[in-house]
Amino acid sequence: MARSRVWAWVVWVTVCVTATVVLRERRDGVDTVHAVLTYLLVILGGSVSGGRPLGLALTLAGFLLIDYFFQLPYDTLSVSKPLDWIVLLAFLTTAVVTTHLLTQERARAAEAERRAGEVASLGRLGAELLSAGRAEDSLAGIADLIRTSLEVAHCRIYGRDDDAVRLLVASPADVIGEAGLADLDDLRRFAETTDRLDIAEDGASGATLQSHDPDGRTVLAALRAHGRTVGALYLTDERPIALDPARRRFLGALAYYAALAVERTRLVAQAEHAEALREADRLKDVVLASVSHDLRTPLTTIKALAQEGALRGDRNAVAIEEQADRLGHLVADLLDLSRLKGGALPVHPELNTAEDLVGAAMRQMAGLLKDRTVETSVDFTEPALAGRFDFVQSLRILSNLLGNAVRYTPPASPIELSVKRDDAALVFVVADRGPGIPATERDRIFEPFYRPAGAAADGGAAGLGLAIARRLAELQGGTLEYAARPGGGSCFVLRLPAATPSGAFVKS
Amino acid sequence: MGAIRVSDDDLTSAAVRARALLIIEDDAPIRRALRNALSDVTDRLLEAPTGREGIDLTATERPDLVILDLGLPDVRGVDVCREIRAWSRVPILVLSARHADAEKVQLLNAGADDYVTKPFNTPEFVARVRALLRRARLPTADDVATVVEAYGLTVDLLHRRVTRGGAAVRLTPIEWDILRTLVTNAGRTLTHQQIFDAVWGDAAGNPQQYLRVHITNLRRKVETNAARPELIVTEPGVGYRAELPA
Repeated sequence: MARSRVWAWVVWVTVCVTATVVLRERRDGVDTVHAVLTYLLVILGGSVSGGRPLGLALTLAGFLLIDYFFQLPYDTLSVSKPLDWIVLLAFLTTAVVTTHLLTQERARAAEAERRAGEVASLGRLGAELLSAGRAEDSLAGIADLIRTSLEVAHCRIYGRDDDAVRLLVASPADVIGEAGLADLDDLRRFAETTDRLDIAEDGASGATLQSHDPDGRTVLAALRAHGRTVGALYLTDERPIALDPARRRFLGALAYYAALAVERTRLVAQAEHAEALREADRLKDVVLASVSHDLRTPLTTIKALAQEGALRGDRNAVAIEEQADRLGHLVADLLDLSRLKGGALPVHPELNTAEDLVGAAMRQMAGLLKDRTVETSVDFTEPALAGRFDFVQSLRILSNLLGNAVRYTPPASPIELSVKRDDAALVFVVADRGPGIPATERDRIFEPFYRPAGAAADGGAAGLGLAIARRLAELQGGTLEYAARPGGGSCFVLRLPAATPSGAFVKS
Repeated sequence: MGAIRVSDDDLTSAAVRARALLIIEDDAPIRRALRNALSDVTDRLLEAPTGREGIDLTATERPDLVILDLGLPDVRGVDVCREIRAWSRVPILVLSARHADAEKVQLLNAGADDYVTKPFNTPEFVARVRALLRRARLPTADDVATVVEAYGLTVDLLHRRVTRGGAAVRLTPIEWDILRTLVTNAGRTLTHQQIFDAVWGDAAGNPQQYLRVHITNLRRKVETNAARPELIVTEPGVGYRAELPA
């Protein structure tokens, strides 16, 4: 650009000198008008190719040369006739106005050309963003386009996740550590600043990173999408990068495309991660299901054969059956614990009634209870007590509590199961008259693998029941607590969210 | 059209003895355990180690009951169930080692009659088999009226009357429909959806959860102790089943 300007000066000054020499040779046969017209042509040419400064310089030169060489008296700047002033002033006015008009028109044309270039760049960016198969590819294409359309040496795009900022793509794909590379900490601070200040659209781009850029040879633009800073665009050049308002606007538009591409990269990465997690989850389910199946199948055979033996009065068979049951419970508890830890145990709270749950628990425990009695106390007032809980998992909680009561209390002592409504909660209480739990151990009983001090090693459970029960209660928005029972014994209090069925669905 | 009384006396264990039972199960030791457990129920026990052979034996031997294990090497249990149901009403009792309620519901909706989870309790398993066999002997035509007596309760299906010790038990229309559906399917576990469809028909919405409230109210009227139900048994996560005493 600058070089072509110098050439314009050389060429048109030469033309001006040549024209002056030629006209001077034939001064006697040349009218002043001829000289004036010739210089006007030179000025027009100079303005077109060299712009306003060359045009004005040629105008001044022409004015002086006409006056000096081609107006009587020759070879002096003095003007003899007043009418000759009119010629000179007319020349000057015409030349200045023409130069002005020509250069203005030229600037408009250049601006239009640049706009067309910008529109084409943005069009290519949009196409790049939409058509590239991989998000990374489209980002690389966008970095290339930004670099070439802004005519800078390097363009880098950084992404920002939470606290970290990292380089996503560089154009040209250069070596990391090259001079001019932004400090990631600076970038992070920059991103945070732009995130905090909700910067207006034009201010959001083209900010410079002060600590890094004494000469204006780097430009930093925040990449903002969906109201947050998703990264930064970092441009460097060997020379200072000039940013007039129009270019600043253009940079803003480019930055917006880059922000969308960065966001797309992030979303794609997120989707891939979620897909990987789903796959891992699915595999875990498959493993759990097959372990569960493979362990239960032989247990079924052992139990069935032992029961057959027990019916014939074989005492060993009774023991085998009990141990098979114990193993079965242990397998179930371990599977549930691993599912709970992995968050894979689904809970589906629905409208259920307390009586239904108590009835199902009593039925499920019938085998373990044998001749032990459980006093059930249910509030039979209308309407039936209802709650929003997962029936199957709540049944597990009650079964675990009743199982513990049977296991850890003397055979003759009574067990009670009651339910009542307390404000927004259904309160199930499993109470026994056993030894209770010492105050020092009350916090620990809900930990996995806890076993009461002094309990027999073959007490029948692995110490997982309460840990699982409490977790299941919490997953449903309920609680499970221990309370010492007045007069001796233990109270386990399960609270589940109560519900009031409004106008039970009736047949029309 | 004479009323056929089905009461405890007619349903002694000796009365329900099957001509032939089929076990579809790939695990040989379990087949052996089942054979021992069912020796009192039938004289002829057919065994199939694969789903394909099971389907073929059901077609050729016409057993009185099919015990179907899930996790067969060749065909999915639910597909075996559907295929048999396409041409036979033979009772199907499903055995599974998985505690997956969704799977139970799927199988019952596919036409299975009941479901037992491994490891099971042998006496309970045998009781379930007997209940299904007993049900299969009941007259199936809709116009045959029956009176069911159990736990001191009398359910007159023809006259839509329920009495306990001679005193009338008053039920709402929905409670009656639920009770009738369960009792006429005694021994079968019905899913929430199946009961809902039978009682409410094609009602819009998803009010299955209200079924549980109605069941609770019904139990208060027909059970001796509503907190310890005997007649209407909850199958957790699956549905309900009417159990008549053996």
